[in-house]
Amino acid sequence: MKRGKKVGSTLPKRDVNVIFSRRAALMSFVGVGAIGAVITRMAHLQATNLFSQEYSNAADENRFDTRIVAPPRGVIYDRFGIVLAQTSKDYQVSIVRDDVEDLETAIARVGQILGLSPIWARRAKVRVESGPRGEPMPICEGLTWEEFNAVNVRLPELRGVIAGSADVRAYPYDVVYAHPLGYVAKPTQRDIDRAMQTEGEGASRAMYLRNPHVRVGKAGLEAKLEGTLHGHAGWRKVIVNARGVEMGEDPDERRDPVRGSGVVLTLDHELQRTAMQNFAQQSGSAIVMDIVNGDLLAMASAPGFDPNHFVNGIGRDEFAGLNTDEMKPLFHKAVTGLYAPGSTFKMMVGIAAKQAGVSDDWSVSCPGYFPYGGRNFHCWRREGHGRVNLHDAIKHSCDVYFYQAALQAGPDRIAAVSRKFGLGEHFDVGVPNILDGWVPDPVSWRERRKEGWTGGLTLNYGIGQGALQVSPLQLAVMAARLGNNGRAVVPRLVREAPGVSEPAPAPIIDGIEPEFLARVRDGMFGVCNEPGGTATRAGALELVRDPQSGAAVGRTSENASWQPVQIAGKTGTAQVRALTDATRGRHFSTIEWRYRDNALFCCFGPWHDPRYACAVIVEHGGAGSAVAGPIAREIMRAALLRDPSRRAPANLAALEPPPRSQA
Amino acid sequence: MSIATTPGPRTIAERISRLNWGIITLLCALAIVGVLMHFSVANSGARLDMPMTHGLRFAVLLAVAVTAAMFLDTRFWLAISYPLYAGALLLLLAVELFGETRMGATRWLSIGPLSLQPSEFMKVGIVLALAKYYMQIGPRRAGAMVWSLPPFLAIIAPVALVMHQPDLGTAMLIMFAGLATMFLAGLSWWIVGSGVVLGALGAWFAYSYVLHEYQRNRVDVFLGLSNDPLGAGYHVLQSKIAIGSAGLFGRGYLQGSQAQLDFLPEKHTDFIFTMIVEEFGLIGGAVVLLLFGALMALAMQVALRARTMFSKLAAASVAAMLASYVLINTAMVIGLVPVVGIPLPMISFGGTAMMTLMVGFCIVLSIDLHKDAHGSRGWLW
Repeated sequence: MKRGKKVGSTLPKRDVNVIFSRRAALMSFVGVGAIGAVITRMAHLQATNLFSQEYSNAADENRFDTRIVAPPRGVIYDRFGIVLAQTSKDYQVSIVRDDVEDLETAIARVGQILGLSPIWARRAKVRVESGPRGEPMPICEGLTWEEFNAVNVRLPELRGVIAGSADVRAYPYDVVYAHPLGYVAKPTQRDIDRAMQTEGEGASRAMYLRNPHVRVGKAGLEAKLEGTLHGHAGWRKVIVNARGVEMGEDPDERRDPVRGSGVVLTLDHELQRTAMQNFAQQSGSAIVMDIVNGDLLAMASAPGFDPNHFVNGIGRDEFAGLNTDEMKPLFHKAVTGLYAPGSTFKMMVGIAAKQAGVSDDWSVSCPGYFPYGGRNFHCWRREGHGRVNLHDAIKHSCDVYFYQAALQAGPDRIAAVSRKFGLGEHFDVGVPNILDGWVPDPVSWRERRKEGWTGGLTLNYGIGQGALQVSPLQLAVMAARLGNNGRAVVPRLVREAPGVSEPAPAPIIDGIEPEFLARVRDGMFGVCNEPGGTATRAGALELVRDPQSGAAVGRTSENASWQPVQIAGKTGTAQVRALTDATRGRHFSTIEWRYRDNALFCCFGPWHDPRYACAVIVEHGGAGSAVAGPIAREIMRAALLRDPSRRAPANLAALEPPPRSQA
Repeated sequence: MSIATTPGPRTIAERISRLNWGIITLLCALAIVGVLMHFSVANSGARLDMPMTHGLRFAVLLAVAVTAAMFLDTRFWLAISYPLYAGALLLLLAVELFGETRMGATRWLSIGPLSLQPSEFMKVGIVLALAKYYMQIGPRRAGAMVWSLPPFLAIIAPVALVMHQPDLGTAMLIMFAGLATMFLAGLSWWIVGSGVVLGALGAWFAYSYVLHEYQRNRVDVFLGLSNDPLGAGYHVLQSKIAIGSAGLFGRGYLQGSQAQLDFLPEKHTDFIFTMIVEEFGLIGGAVVLLLFGALMALAMQVALRARTMFSKLAAASVAAMLASYVLINTAMVIGLVPVVGIPLPMISFGGTAMMTLMVGFCIVLSIDLHKDAHGSRGWLW
């Protein structure tokens, strides 16, 4: 711009200056006014808040969140205080969904560190996406210390990934208690839906169930005693950021969870373990019961499964494997398995025949078969037993005798006696899915089968076959009621828990003559201890009684002169389906497993002062004397040597301090 | 010619001592507020280098601006005004044709490693070009209808191009800066009046046909036509919660829950004023606004003291542009106007707005320092 190059102007300088100054001033006023408006608006927002707290509440609602704290679950003890189920620390890797930059990458990195499969990664992604946005969602549980550390040292490069420990249900003896205890697992969508549908607290209950750390009992005692074991949830007031990630906690506002109450069972760990071990690779159930107070000292179902695998969700393949196994490991055979009792039922027939007026002298001749209604009913022994009375018939398990005894007694009387001894009765020992079986009589037969009762049915009834179905538990109760001279003892599994009281002394079963009972008991003694008995192998306990203390000890060369400790029992070999020409006479091992006979044995002891009853069923095991008897012998030997009924049981108050009263 | 005999500053020391230290101090004060707030942002988990970057960027830009102001006088600004405008317009056209699209908007030109946003040049360019234009046509014609047409066209062309990117905020700033220059130059009140009417009609037209879906949503939410707390209204709702619950003195430095816990979005850029209010209260917010007010006043004072119409218009327009930034931003975060992506100058994180305004204040400082310099007089004399 050269000097003097001016655009012509006729306006005085002053006027031009004034126009600009005026307009600049005007503009400044507008600016000041606008600043004033902004400040006024802010003041207005704050004044509104002063009266309504609208924005303060909204800010608090933003920053505070209530987090549920799952309570530690109650401990389950055996009768002497051994911990069977507890809450223990589990090392886990979790992901906070809204804190990771990319969920799939984060999961892939964790999977890479731990060497996990892409299938796991897919499942982990689904788990994280189904959970709350800002809360840590476990993606990998049950880590070893080494695995945990491998993730832990890499955490700085893994944003949103957390390695920590959480309370988790643990079953230290895994398969041994799988069936009676059951297991806990994550609530299913069905559980949540069901909670939603309940009135009142349903919605908050459903929200509680959605918490990734909450587990509920899904099977066994864990399911039935959920209310006792679960405890009461606590909560924490936490400060969260916009993504829901926890940034801090308000320590003044929290409620601690209340631990679930402990439960003492009647089971004796030593006996339960012995029972499970003796099944080896076989399938079946064994029960040991105190015949005085009904305590179940062992309640084994084999094969077992590891309930720990269910706690954090079992893999689909593993579950399918358990579910399709023909030995049915998930099945609680002790109470849910129903079997024809076979020859173990003969005591009932014997008592019923006695009641029908059959004398002690009554005997039958067994040629190995019994012709009835135009066909021959066979004895298990082809060559027959010759002439037998009740005692010998039980001892040798002669079928022909009991065909005729059953005809003498009649089905109604047999059914009535059986029910008095607990067969077909419902025993609520506290586990779910108890089946009661069926003790048929002509009336119920007509109702169910829509046909008339026939004499042939009575004959089959006499040897415990046909429609008759009992559970191992009922069989144990039968043995117990025979052993305690006809007292209606009721089994129980939970010894001490809130709301559980000591049982009343078992009343005498009425309508059973002690004399009749004594006859069949003698027969059962014969089975185990007299030459020719079907279960002398089971009776060979090799135990003697200390004359001073009365305690059972193993027989040695020094104490061989002491009184032997003996048991009384009965074998049973029950067909699982009618014999056909294809299977008759064929060697046991050539028959398909699932068509082989069930082996049974029930007994009580010691003979001189009975205290324990035991029932053993080996599914498709073959002969009761060869398979079930030896298992029962090992279990009874352990029971008699250990004699748990006479030891002081554990006391819940001594095991754990009382849980704090609910706040 | 008594004034003309007063020489401009000759020595470096003289130039330094005669700089407008008030403006520099206020700029520094605002930048320090920015550093403090970015430290607070970083404290809630973001990047600790943010406050340092902010402070460093400001220091470098200020040093360059002050140095430039010391050695360049009004002649330089006059010389570059038309070329700057023309260049910026050409670049905007280039953006339209070859621009780089980021986050749904085409605003950037990539030249090798450099990434340019030509709309920023236009903010300065429009002010300088219009100031020169009015100096050249003289005060008599400034109020005339015919002579007002070229400036209008000069404003509309870049505004339309920027709107199309789309960048509503920048377009508004270019328009406000240009209109402010025209108004100060003596635009006829008739035009001002009918402009307001036309502006209202234009806003309706823009809302109906020009605005993009997301922009229209913001307006809908602002007008209460739709209620969408997690969508377009979420930002302002959280901002209002933060300001409303802050109280007179705020929640305390580093203690603002809305900002620290990330409920407040864009807290380091467009919504930083909310964070200031949340942590320092109504008083803190008012102090920051007063700092800006004082800065505008000083720039306006420079304009009033300047001796040529070009200098007056340029300095006052920079003040008006600063006011536009501050007022649109603060009015937006308190829900007085719809959400427009405009940062708070010198405080919000990011170099673009800071650089643009620093160029503006470089011009103001230069005008102030060299107002008595020989040869810098325009048509007033």
